Amino acid sequence: MHLINGPVTTGAISEIIAKGGEDRECGAHSLFLGQVRRDQADGKFVRAIEYSVYEEMVIPEADKIFKSIMSEFDDVKTIEIIHSKGLVKAGEISLLVMVSAGHRDHSSKACAKAVELIKGKLPIWKKEIFEDDSAQWRENE
Amino acid sequence: MEISVLFFGVLSEITGTSRKHYSGIKSFADLKQRIGDDFPEIVHYNFRIAVNNKLVNEDPLLSSGDEVAYLPPFAGG
Repeated sequence: MHLINGPVTTGAISEIIAKGGEDRECGAHSLFLGQVRRDQADGKFVRAIEYSVYEEMVIPEADKIFKSIMSEFDDVKTIEIIHSKGLVKAGEISLLVMVSAGHRDHSSKACAKAVELIKGKLPIWKKEIFEDDSAQWRENE
Repeated sequence: MEISVLFFGVLSEITGTSRKHYSGIKSFADLKQRIGDDFPEIVHYNFRIAVNNKLVNEDPLLSSGDEVAYLPPFAGG
């Protein structure tokens, strides 16, 4: 897993896709991109999210997610995760998950499962910053 | 015991700090009491505890030098 300061850039996304192509045993890559949405609360719009991470814990916890996914989906070859820390504006990407597998069935199911595990198990927090510069901490649904 | 406490998410805001050091800690219950005395409003928040990067479900046995983290509900992705 990689943490990136600010948004996941199109350059980073391209690199991950290119890297996926290096494994000639793979026939399928499933890519999930999480984008900061311009949510509305109390009549105010979100302009950015500030992400904070417990870095010493996020790496071993991400490793547990990898192991769990690899043991559940035996056709999966690799899982790439990039998560932002710091400020990511509405419309920018804050999460990339790419699962590469021999075939599409496991790649798509494993990618969906990985996203759910990331949202539930990684020690990451988000603070919504509104257009009027007020802010509130946000929990996942 | 010497214990470092880390506060994340909303808890770092309400305590005004991301890290606080405690000395003379006898047990986890003692640590909880001291944190509650320093930051009484913490009782109004949900959080889990990690010791040395591992989540714990019940009051852990602490050793001097341990790092205890107060973790609000995760919100990644």
